[in-house]
Amino acid sequence: MRGVWAIVVLDLKRFLQERARLVAGLMQPLLYLFVLGAGLGASIQHGGADYRKFIFPGVVGLALLFTATFAAITIVFDRQIGFFKAVLVSPVSRAAIGVGKVAAGALQAMMQGVVLLLFAPLVGVHLGVVEVLAVLGAMLLAALTFSAIGVALASRFTSTTVFPIMSNAVLLPMFFMSGAMYPLAPAPHWLKALAHLDPVAYAVDLMRQALLGSGPGIAFFPVWLDIAVLVGVTLILTWAAVRVFARGEEVNLGPTAFPWRK
Amino acid sequence: MCAAIIPAVEVEGLVKNYGKVEALCGIDLTVGAGELFALLGPNGAGKTTLFSILSTLRAPTAGRARVLGHDVVAERDTVRRSIGIVFQEPAIEQSLSVRDNLRLIGSLYGLKSSDVRRRAEELLAKLQLTEAAGRKARTLSGGQRRRVELARALVTDPGVLFLDEATLGLDVDARRGFWKHVRGLANTGRAVVFATHYMEEAEVADRIALIADGRIVALDTPQALKARMGGGVIRLRTEDDARAREWLTGRGYAPAGAREILLEQNDPASVVPILLRELPMRVERVEVHAPSLEDVFLKLTGRGLEDEVPASEGKKGGWR
Repeated sequence: MRGVWAIVVLDLKRFLQERARLVAGLMQPLLYLFVLGAGLGASIQHGGADYRKFIFPGVVGLALLFTATFAAITIVFDRQIGFFKAVLVSPVSRAAIGVGKVAAGALQAMMQGVVLLLFAPLVGVHLGVVEVLAVLGAMLLAALTFSAIGVALASRFTSTTVFPIMSNAVLLPMFFMSGAMYPLAPAPHWLKALAHLDPVAYAVDLMRQALLGSGPGIAFFPVWLDIAVLVGVTLILTWAAVRVFARGEEVNLGPTAFPWRK
Repeated sequence: MCAAIIPAVEVEGLVKNYGKVEALCGIDLTVGAGELFALLGPNGAGKTTLFSILSTLRAPTAGRARVLGHDVVAERDTVRRSIGIVFQEPAIEQSLSVRDNLRLIGSLYGLKSSDVRRRAEELLAKLQLTEAAGRKARTLSGGQRRRVELARALVTDPGVLFLDEATLGLDVDARRGFWKHVRGLANTGRAVVFATHYMEEAEVADRIALIADGRIVALDTPQALKARMGGGVIRLRTEDDARAREWLTGRGYAPAGAREILLEQNDPASVVPILLRELPMRVERVEVHAPSLEDVFLKLTGRGLEDEVPASEGKKGGWR
């Protein structure tokens, strides 16, 4: 546990030192909520509800997704500069490294998500204590899943330039297929089928039900399925990252590393 | 009956292949407690790969390695607790203070915070870093950073310390100070194994393994290695080295060296006038000196320690 704690504390210290990241991370979700939401909301009514209210859980999901996933860039950066070696030669278990990194990314995302929750009343989402607790639980589970996606990806990259490009290539389709910005129920069959394969869809669905209830047009999956998928994906991806960490340096050295030696 | 003394490091028949490339081709060596042991060889010789295996970052393809009696594959966690390592690359967190960096390592090793604090303050004082302790690592000078790296490696009080090209980028004064600290560590009974391609650094070691192309080509004390070269060495450069080599070989000399001609002689002072008089080509430079480790390396491998490796050797993604 102390190893997990050490990794979490390190990453949180780094995150809090970069306050610009905290602010910049809020810009995109707020633009979606107040600019896109206002623009599209003028012509779209969802079941009589305000469009901005409908997309609010999706916008929180967006903030969680990108913050949690990009938090894992510290793995790539540490590997590039050599600091990760100091972690790998320590007796801290590889599982603790994986869990610590996932937890650290999730906590960073939660900080962003909690700030966004403060905007809920502005879009007509009024929360009681029960709703707040429910949505915090849903957000934490979503953040852990997204962080695990980031850690699993980052464990395989050695370039801080390539990692964000590849992450965007994976994350943006996941976000757009998730139903964060539109209801999935009336969507085409192919899109609904893809949403079933998309962890972000389950996370948004869970947060939407926690924030807006499970009435018609709100819930797409049963809550138990949302939770089961998110827990399953988190465990599998964390395990995959731990397996990569367990290989130490071997993962990064290809067969052509010593081409000068015949 | 005396208890058996466990060597600090034991390596037997160690092989490491990367695909078809042999990085280590059967390394054997033993390092005793309190010994200052150097691995001297050019870039790409296999030193870093050997350190990676000894520090459990890579697994050997064949052979075995033990640190303080613990197998580096079967007992990884025990080995990790027993060693400290300074890498070629910086391995301190730049955004943290010096003190926080040391505490972080203590946490990763599961040490009690009071023990880590005490140990960190001792090391900071010993390595003259107390004044810099509150500064962020990114604001330190090169020499200070290397000392912080050393403190990081020592904060867990390891039985064996590995230093991989630990003085890269340091000026002469900073290097001298660094090695003074390291010598002090070995004097307290801790085994120190270091890799370098600087001959003068290797001279501080109790024993040196000369390593080239993944093989140990010689292993002995600095004095014994140099004694293999006889009384002295003549370094010769002519207007046509290839023809000069032929001429020398034809007269019973044994010219060595790749970039310049190297002649090992028991009485070089008497040979030089003969060469200058009889060589059928113009001599551009001639030097006579006591044998150095560079000479030994040249004699054994035909290459210099500072020889640049081909461009294709470049590091892959910062890992080696």
